[in-house]
Order: sequence, then C-alpha cells, then structure tokens
Amino acid sequence: MSDRPKGLVRWLTTTDHKDIGILYLVTALFMAVFGGAFAGLLRAQLSAADLKVLNPDLYNQFLSMHGTVMIFFVIIPALAGFGNYFVPLLIGARDMAFPKLNALSYWLVIPAAFLMFGSFFVQGGAAQAGWTGYVPLASRQFSGTAGVDMWILGLHLVGLSSILGAINFLVTIINMRAPGMAYFKMPLFVWTWFVNATLILFATPVLAGALTMALTDRAFGTGFFRPSEGGDPLLWQHLFWFYSHPAVYIMVLPGMGIVSHVLPAFSSKKIFGYKGIVYATAAIGVIGFMVWAHHMFTSGIDPRLRAFFAFMTMVIAVPTGVKIFSWLATIWGGQIRFTTAMKFALGFIALFVMGGISGLTLAVVPFDVQVHDSYYVVAHLHYVLFGGSVMALLAGVFFWFPKMSGRILDEKLGNVIFWLIFLGMNITFLPMHWLGIVGMARRIYTYRPEFEFWNQVASFGYILLFAGGMLLLYNMFKTLRKGERAADDPWGAYPLQRTLDWSVSSPPPVENFAKIPEIA
Amino acid sequence: MKKIRIFLLSGFVFFGFAAIGWADEPITNWLTSPEGPLARAVRSNFYFSMAAFLPFLILSEVLLVYAIFRFKAKPGGQAATFHENLRLEVLWTVIPALTLAVTAIPTFKTMRAMEVPPKSDLVVAVIGHQFFWEYRYPKYGVQFAEEAMVVPAGKVVTLNLSSVDVVHSWWVPAFGVKQDANPGRITHAWFQADNPGRYKGQCAELCGKLHAKMYIDVNVVTPEEFEQWLMKKKGAAPPAQAAGSQ
Repeated sequence: MSDRPKGLVRWLTTTDHKDIGILYLVTALFMAVFGGAFAGLLRAQLSAADLKVLNPDLYNQFLSMHGTVMIFFVIIPALAGFGNYFVPLLIGARDMAFPKLNALSYWLVIPAAFLMFGSFFVQGGAAQAGWTGYVPLASRQFSGTAGVDMWILGLHLVGLSSILGAINFLVTIINMRAPGMAYFKMPLFVWTWFVNATLILFATPVLAGALTMALTDRAFGTGFFRPSEGGDPLLWQHLFWFYSHPAVYIMVLPGMGIVSHVLPAFSSKKIFGYKGIVYATAAIGVIGFMVWAHHMFTSGIDPRLRAFFAFMTMVIAVPTGVKIFSWLATIWGGQIRFTTAMKFALGFIALFVMGGISGLTLAVVPFDVQVHDSYYVVAHLHYVLFGGSVMALLAGVFFWFPKMSGRILDEKLGNVIFWLIFLGMNITFLPMHWLGIVGMARRIYTYRPEFEFWNQVASFGYILLFAGGMLLLYNMFKTLRKGERAADDPWGAYPLQRTLDWSVSSPPPVENFAKIPEIA
Repeated sequence: MKKIRIFLLSGFVFFGFAAIGWADEPITNWLTSPEGPLARAVRSNFYFSMAAFLPFLILSEVLLVYAIFRFKAKPGGQAATFHENLRLEVLWTVIPALTLAVTAIPTFKTMRAMEVPPKSDLVVAVIGHQFFWEYRYPKYGVQFAEEAMVVPAGKVVTLNLSSVDVVHSWWVPAFGVKQDANPGRITHAWFQADNPGRYKGQCAELCGKLHAKMYIDVNVVTPEEFEQWLMKKKGAAPPAQAAGSQ
C-alpha cells in the first residue's frame, strides 16, 4: 500500500496486526540473546565446583533475571507475536478487533524491559529472589534495594500488556471470524489462543494483585506477607502460583497450536482427532487452574490439599496425553517431509513427552518432596519450556518465516541448527534429572564436588545451544538479505489444510484480504 | 551414521543412571540405600510410579521414532487419509486415566506415612536462619546452632520447623525428608535413621546470598552415644557407669 509510512516511522506508528506481530517476535528474539547470555554465565559458574566466575550476589541476580526474562520477555511475547500475526489471518479478519489497543499492548513491553534490564545498573543490582520472588526474601527487610521494586513494576507492565492483549484476542476470535467459520472450523492455532487468552484473563490479574500487595508491603509497610502483622508468606506462594501454574499452559498451549499446523502440513495428512484436541485444550485450560499448589508440596500446606492437588495434577496428564497420541496418529501413515520446521515439531513431541512424564512423577507427592527445589525440577521445567515452548516456537519460525518475510530460511543451515539445539538441549538438561535425584539443590552458585561431572556435561551442552542460537540469527540475517523467494504456499499446505494463511500473498497485503473469504 | 547416533544416545542415558549407583557419598544415596522406613517407602512409591509411567514414555517415543523412519515421504507415495477414530480416542483417554488412578493409591498411602509419624521418641525444633540451622531439644533443655544435629539410631525423630527470617527448607536426601521452614508458622516432618553415620543435606529453598552454603549435617549415633552427647551438651559429666561401659 502506498499510504503506509516507510522505515522507522512505520514500525513506531503501526497498528497493523502483522507489523505488531513482527515487533513482538523481534523483541523476543532480542531478549532471548540476553536471557541466553545470562544462562551462559550461570553455566560457566557451575562448570566446576567452587568456581569464582560470578560472586553469590551476582549469581542470584543472573539466576532470577534468566528465569524472568525467558518467561515474561521471550516465550510469552514470542507466542503473542505469532498470535498477533496469524490469528486474524487464520480466521479471515482484516486486523485485530482493537488495533490501537494492540499497539499499546506491545509498547508496554518496552518500558517493562527497560525496568528489568535497567535494574542491573542501580545500587544493589537486579532482583535476586528467584523468578518466583518468594517473600520474605523479596521483602524490603531482606531485599532493600531498588532492584526488586523495578522487577515488580516491570512485571506489572508485562502483565498489563498480557491482559489487554488477551481481551483483544477474545473479542477478535469471538466477533471477527469470516462468514461460515464456525467455532469447530477454526484452525487449532486459533483454538489454542482462544483458550490461552481466557487463561490470561483469569490468571494474570491475580499476579497483578499479588505484585501490588508486595509493592505496598515494600513501600508503605503494609503486612500482607508479614507474620508479625498478621500476614503470611504462604499467601504470596498461593497467589503467585495461581498465576504461574496456568502460565505454564499459557506458554505451552499456543506452541501446541503451532505444532498442530506443522505436523499435518509435512505429513500430507489432516490433523488426527481435531475435536479431541479442541476438547483436550479446553480441559487443560480448566484443570490448569486446579493444580497450582503442587508447587507447594513441601511448604507445609494442609495434607488434604496435597492429596487434592496431587490428584488434579495427575488428571491433567490425561488431556495432554490425548494430544500427544493425536499428533502421533497424525504423522502415522503420512508422507513425512523432513523440513526444519517438521524436525522441530517432531523434536517438540519427543521432548514434551519427557517433560510430561517427569511432571507426572512430580505429582507423586512423596517423590516430589524428595526432588522439589532440586535439579530434577530444573530438568523437568526445561524439558517443558525449552523442549515444549521453544521447540514449537522454532518450528513456527521456520514454518511461517516465508509467509512473514517472503523468503525461505536456508534449510541446510536449518538442519544444522536443529541438531545443535536438539542435542545441546538434551546434553544440557538430561543430566540435571540425575543431579536432582542424587541430591543437588537448585539455585545454588556452587556445589559439592560429587556433582561436578554431570555439571560439566550440562555446561558443554550449553555450548551447542549457544552455537545453534547464533547460527539461527545468522540464518535469519542471511535470508532476509538474499534468501530464496517464497511462493504464497511454499510448503504446499493449502490444498489439504485450507488454512487462510497460505491463501494470501507472502507477505500478506495490508488488511490481508481484498475480499473477506467465505468459509465452506 | 544413524546407528551411531542412537548408540551414543542410549549410552548417555545408561551411564546417567549408572552414575546414581556409583556415587557413594551419603548425600547421594537415597535410591541405592535409603535410610529408615520413611525413605524406603518413598523409594518404593517412586519405583511403583516409574513402572506405571515409563511404559507411556517408551511407547510414545518408540512410536515416534518408528513413524519417522517408516513414513518418510517416497516419490509417488500416497498418504493415508484417516483423521479420526472414536474407539482409539476413547482408549487413549481411558487407559492413562485408569493407570493414574491405580498409581494414586500407593501414593496416598505413602503420603499418609509421611504425615502421620509413629510414636515420637525425640522431638527437635529446627529453626532456619540466614544461613545456618539452629536445633533445640526441648525435653533436654539443649540448644545449639551451626553444628551437626545429633540423633539416636533406630528412633523416631519428629521435627518442628520454623524460621526467624526467610523461607528455608530442611532437606536430607537419605532420610527422604524435605520440609520448608517458614517464618510465622510451624511445619512438621519426621524420620527414623536405622544406621549410625553422618548424613548430609542442604537448604533447598533459595534463601539469599549464601543459600548454596547452607549445609545440613546429621550425626546418627547409637542410643548410648546419644546419652553421652546429651550429657556433654548439658555441661554435666557423663554418669560413671556409662563411661565405664565404653
């Protein structure tokens, strides 16, 4: 279109859902470089016992910021990026319901990021109470510096961004579907975002409330979390996990949606059990609110609560299993083309199953008590979030990059990137299961010598991950400059799947559709 | 090339589990030699649930790898067209649900064992500080900090945990015990160590700068040695006959 401003002005003033989607994705990529570098520092410090790469203070700061940045500034915004770009496209809409609100949601992330990263430069440094910010450690008494305040305010802003985004997604999906697109004709990526936005809408305000309480405790001396004032530190844990457990699904469901597009496209088959997957997605959304206290099995909560939350945690495995089996049935009997996107989607299944099963073992309370806050949990959560969310995101990157940029990422490099990341991920995180089982606590800057060997292996795995990440960046730059041009439907996905993203040009025109399509 | 890859991966997995067996420091031994009835119950609960869950892990991964090799696209190949099967879908919902229901039974049993200790022989108050542990034996009027906890072998020890500052967590892997110590409330745990020895653990909840160095040591001694230790702690000379029996 000719009336669209060019260059920097376009990106600063855009309300086009596709531009905003790209802004989210580029921001997430940029943050991933920092989050990944923090992880590198942690692995360097842990590559041998009693090293002095980081002092304990700095270690705790990088540890806290690695978790916070990866969750709130990489995975969630990246999924929101794909959501922004593809949800309107997939339902046959011209834009999100509230384009300006959409722009605001994105621009809230930027000051939040400045608060987070800026906190390294204030006196006392960044927050060091873990990404969970448990009180009293995160209270004024034990973390009196501005770092924690900036952490709280930063989270407030990204939380606000999430909530506004969720409202936008819900209104868009409910009201702006093309004529003929019944709910049960929506592509699965749209379904996962529908459930996801609902999760965000119910969960994130609770986090906002908890953060506000923590802030008034710090700034005005209120006693929400202070026993001497009638408060209770466990209240923070309940509120925090009431948000943060659903947040795990917030980080995984849209990834599952991406995979549900990639697998059928490269198997030349339709997705198996579409309705089953939709019901499973909804079930995960509902049950996801009834499992939060499984993060608190050692905290001294009522034994009856432990039994209930253990049971619900097992229950949530059932719909998750349904999805896994449906994906396996999708590729079963297909004609599988091993593109990089497909490799990442298959890698997602392999790793997510691992994370799922180790998650089930954590529902077994006596075992959870043994390995809670140990490296077993670190291993489990990285299998879910790296193996699940990040692998799915990378599948999405290779799958949709041609649609977004008009150029296809180098597949030869893609193959190398996949193997570096897949092997690096396993070499880094698989040994952590054993470290946890033999008794290594998490969030420690040094450890007893008997844990050294597997820590060295894990640190070596990081090198592979780092190389894979760098190569991915190189691939993107190279492709954007002189990559192979992409057809409208470069993967031949349209004839069978009929998803609208492949029916328009690459990249799609402003307002997506000259004429709103009718869905048969 | 592919065979080498699979060989390397399976070797990696095998040696990982073997390493758990090789390690012989007390901190690392709850799987190879759990100490006391509680730790043994935790271990058998773990093995039982692993036996229930692992088949699903193996099944999914094997099907995935099989499909990857079996259904590689061939020139002129035709993909199957099925995309639903109600019987299959009911089956893979019901079978996992039943398996989980079965696993829940021993889990709840073991949970009950953790929560309801047998009759207590010794009560110890455990108090977390940044970054050390304080122990109080109220019945004997003994209290001390920054040194190993001492308990008699073969006796039921119940712990009442609390904290004076932030949340800590008292964890000795060999005993199968981990329990948070929270400010403002008291939590409970118990263990019974059968054999004398020195058992190691550490704080498991991020508690600040020196969290990594907040170690736990428990000296399990014979009941006689325990009596002597108590006497010494109380500042009294050990009774003549106890000294004579040594």
